[in-house]
Amino acid sequence: MNSNGAPKENFIFENTTKVKNILSQYPDKQSATLPLLHLAQSENGYISGAVINTVSGLVDCHPAVVMDCVSFYTMLYTKPQGRNIIQVCQTLSCSLNGADALVDQVTDKYGIKPGETTEDDRFTLMKVECLGSCGTAPVVQINKEYHERLSRKSFDELLESHQ
Amino acid sequence: MSAFKPVLTEHIHQEDCHTLSFYKSVGGYTALEKVLKMIPAEVTQEVKDSNLRGRGGAGFPAGVKWGFIPKDTDKPKYLINNADESEPGTFKDRLLMNKAPHQMLEGMIIAAYAIGCHTSFIYIRGEFYKEFKLLEKAVAEAYKDNILGQSILGSTYNLDVVIHRGAGAYICGEETGLIESLEGKRGWPRIKPPFPAIEGYLQSPTIVNNVETLSCVPHIINRGASWFKSIGPEKGPGPRLFCLSGRVNNPGIFEEAMGISLKDLIFDRAGGIPDGKKLKAVFPGGSSSAILTAEEALDVNMDFDELVEKKTMLGSAGVIVMDETVDMVQACLNIARFYAHESCGQCTPCREGTAWLVKMLTRLVNGGGTPNDIDMIFEITDNIGGLIDFSMGSFGKTICPFGEAVAWPVRSFVEKFKDEFLAYLPREKVVA
Amino acid sequence: MPLLKIDDKEFQVESGSTVLETAESNGIEIPHYCYHPALEVVGSCRMCLVQVEGMGKLQVSCNTFVGDVPPDRKVDGKYDMVVHTQNDLVVQERKNILEFLLLNHPLDCPVCDQAGECYLQDYSFKFGNAHSRFEEDKRVRPNEYLGSQIVINQNRCILCSRCVRFTQEISGTSELFVEARGYNSKIAVLEDNPLDNLLAGNVADICPVGALLSTDYIHKNRIWNMEQKPSVCQDCSVGCNVDIFSQKNQIFRLTARENQDVNGYFMCDIGRYGFHRFEEIERVSQPMARNGKSFDVLDWEEAIQKTADLIEKSKDKTAGIVSPFHTNESNYLLGLMMKDTLGTLPPITREEITYPSGFRISADRSPNLRGMNDVCGHLEEDFSSIIKTRDIRGLYILDDGVDRELDDTWKDILAKMDFIIVQSYAMTELAKSAHIVLPGLAPFEREGTITNDKGHIQWLRPSLVTIGDSKPDWEILMLVINALDKDSEHFTDLGEVIKNMSDHFSSYSDVSLFKIGAQGMALNGKSA
Repeated sequence: MNSNGAPKENFIFENTTKVKNILSQYPDKQSATLPLLHLAQSENGYISGAVINTVSGLVDCHPAVVMDCVSFYTMLYTKPQGRNIIQVCQTLSCSLNGADALVDQVTDKYGIKPGETTEDDRFTLMKVECLGSCGTAPVVQINKEYHERLSRKSFDELLESHQ
Repeated sequence: MSAFKPVLTEHIHQEDCHTLSFYKSVGGYTALEKVLKMIPAEVTQEVKDSNLRGRGGAGFPAGVKWGFIPKDTDKPKYLINNADESEPGTFKDRLLMNKAPHQMLEGMIIAAYAIGCHTSFIYIRGEFYKEFKLLEKAVAEAYKDNILGQSILGSTYNLDVVIHRGAGAYICGEETGLIESLEGKRGWPRIKPPFPAIEGYLQSPTIVNNVETLSCVPHIINRGASWFKSIGPEKGPGPRLFCLSGRVNNPGIFEEAMGISLKDLIFDRAGGIPDGKKLKAVFPGGSSSAILTAEEALDVNMDFDELVEKKTMLGSAGVIVMDETVDMVQACLNIARFYAHESCGQCTPCREGTAWLVKMLTRLVNGGGTPNDIDMIFEITDNIGGLIDFSMGSFGKTICPFGEAVAWPVRSFVEKFKDEFLAYLPREKVVA
Repeated sequence: MPLLKIDDKEFQVESGSTVLETAESNGIEIPHYCYHPALEVVGSCRMCLVQVEGMGKLQVSCNTFVGDVPPDRKVDGKYDMVVHTQNDLVVQERKNILEFLLLNHPLDCPVCDQAGECYLQDYSFKFGNAHSRFEEDKRVRPNEYLGSQIVINQNRCILCSRCVRFTQEISGTSELFVEARGYNSKIAVLEDNPLDNLLAGNVADICPVGALLSTDYIHKNRIWNMEQKPSVCQDCSVGCNVDIFSQKNQIFRLTARENQDVNGYFMCDIGRYGFHRFEEIERVSQPMARNGKSFDVLDWEEAIQKTADLIEKSKDKTAGIVSPFHTNESNYLLGLMMKDTLGTLPPITREEITYPSGFRISADRSPNLRGMNDVCGHLEEDFSSIIKTRDIRGLYILDDGVDRELDDTWKDILAKMDFIIVQSYAMTELAKSAHIVLPGLAPFEREGTITNDKGHIQWLRPSLVTIGDSKPDWEILMLVINALDKDSEHFTDLGEVIKNMSDHFSSYSDVSLFKIGAQGMALNGKSA
């Protein structure tokens, strides 16, 4: 999950079995790039230069090609993030159901604007696009979980419960 | 209330509906057993005869697509299940994956069999982590029960399924963008030709189908193409999951026959508009479709061809309802911003045009607009992906349909609610 | 063969050719940015959109393939495809695409190096709008060094991705990539892997706008000030075709010139920036004779006479040293003069470098080894021993011009000579050890033919004027030959030397500058 941001010098995968499994699933090495990056991010907290070097060696590509890929996707972070990443959906259905107020709620409570992290690394706030659960708007994703039909109160409790 | 007997979502309220044992208990995988005794071409023909059209957004006939796979090549064939549901207003695939993963899996295996594929992929959007874990379990169950892997159910057919997570990019739901992403690169869509059915993943024949489309397949095999064709309009039949969201009392997913009236969906199934407010505008098919005014919305059925006649589309059947409390200009800006954020940046009109639209609309909303701007929006959207005349086909200028996807809704907002845009123009100071 | 109609012209084309390829090879202009014949087609700039009859959407001509269609689908009963490039729809579309490209493009023309050779300028003038309708703030980013030789002005970049594809497909080094997506996309390098391969300079050539710039050339000149001369690179035996840009007798830059028989579309950085070597060297521009530790200046008559006298007196004890850095004509004439004993100095070699696309920098870093071997007659193999066994007392050396450290064997040989005549353009160590120095021309002043290592003979053309009293190398040799033998032929120009040479050597029969032209020719119709 999210580390407290300390970068590692040379990135070595902890779960080497998983790495092997991933590589064996695809007919072409480069296809394993995204799953390896996901695994690395879950272990390292973010995609550092060391991660890129390790992954590029495993998939037989130049590091620049891997970086090209990393920089395209919003879920891959090239900088350390807070321990809890609050992603508030801002697309139409959620926006029509109070998403903006949720963003303000975080700003008021923890003093961070979208894109910022609290001093103690507890929260990073992000505005994201459609999370694919419009029927239960407004929706917030914190780390890996979806939280739906949020009210001011339930959101408050949710935030409190994340250390 | 609905009189339609659910097909795809029949069992979603059962507690263990996602397990293999439950699925088998309600007749699951009998279609697969039947298919394994058929010739692949027969399977494709059955799906062709059913007139099943894609439920991801493009609405292309699935059986016809499968038929494009060349018969005379040694290259491996690939089937990709597009579970990258990212179209605003759409959330049905998530339900199907959570509550009926094996139904989808069975459809996948049948499709793979029909096209001669032995390695297939589920490309699931990265944010759907819970669904990913659930699918992992379902796939593991299938392997254990000889439904996947070697010699499936005692036949000579082998199939592997690989679940591949995306990482946050709407454009990876476009089939060639998806293929690029699956190959480990940035999700830049490819120019066509070559078409994916000829040269797709790793330059090999590839079919990309949506979750819901594949979920229909076992039912077509079990109950026949004629049965499927009899549900709703013949040219675009079948059970369909309609997603209702926005300003409705009862948002959610409603499985109905194709062709149900939009009025029924909004006012009956979804319980109408909260606080007694009036309907103002509707997205019928996700945010990539042109909006309908209340008047237009109350007069149309959810059918592929009917909606095209009304100069919009059924798309992903993601109905977003907007009422009189919704500021059309803000809604337009919201959608434009979504597309600017998701533009892959490869081709000129989309990369520059989407950002231009956002900047212009923002300036308008902040009180800095001029009358000329309103007309400019029409021009810009036409230059990205405009529809000058629907009957002549689209005049999009971009590599992929993203150009049309941003142009149609933004244009329709300005076209149908011009007054609201004009109201944002600063008033001329009157000198007494 | 399918029949394609573009506007009002008909073309029989190979099945599978694209509309753009057909247009390009037939002089029809379809504006484009991202397409490059050496790179993979991506169709992303959308500038080459044309209308194809029967297709609703405008099509990118770089990816529209022409093939045979069944008779009942032919247009007007005979065409397999009809394309319009000049109708209102296409004309308007070009305006629109240019408008999009110029939205964030800075009004830099007065300060941009690409001015005058910029496709954005050219197409805007030909196809674009006269004014901008963009009222918003432009996207502004700082310039960045992508490598030591290439700087990118991010604001001018139109993201055609030619440079990225170049580093992936041609040099295979993949330094460049696109960072981020959408409106925020930009060309980038990883900090620890900058664009420093030997083909890096080509990205500035292929960049259609003034985004990628050569740090060597930046802010130095403009294309309209410079003279452009086609020639051949002399830094290795591949012989890449080049264009040399100079003004007021100063070379400002070299760019690659297309030649599908030699270098394709590109050249390497060794040759590209090599011309700087000649800017600060100590030139020899007058004939000189050794006087103790220094040199006295002579006039040409004296110098030639002295040289001829030395050679005559030594009778068969003179040897000639030809050079793979000199033209065929110079080597040929020295061969005529010293037909008995000819040899060479040790060759200059470095590593052979090949790139995935097939582009090559040869290990042999001289331009004319093959030609030298072809037109000199017999060259002694173990030259240094031959010198000893035949008791050679004098040397006539065509100096490579490469300032090199000779090994002890050669230092010995030189020390023991009665006389050394060096024909050179610079005071190399070799020239300093000479008794007579005859000033020839520097590489960019020379004219002649050279033969690359694949047997392709090419026309070396001068870009700079001769300085001081220097004479063309072939002329000096001819004057010495004439002084040695009153009946020898007096050539009035280079063409006559070539004729004489081609009569002498069968593999060079039929060679003339006219035939060689800008693209060179294979010897005897065959390339090795």
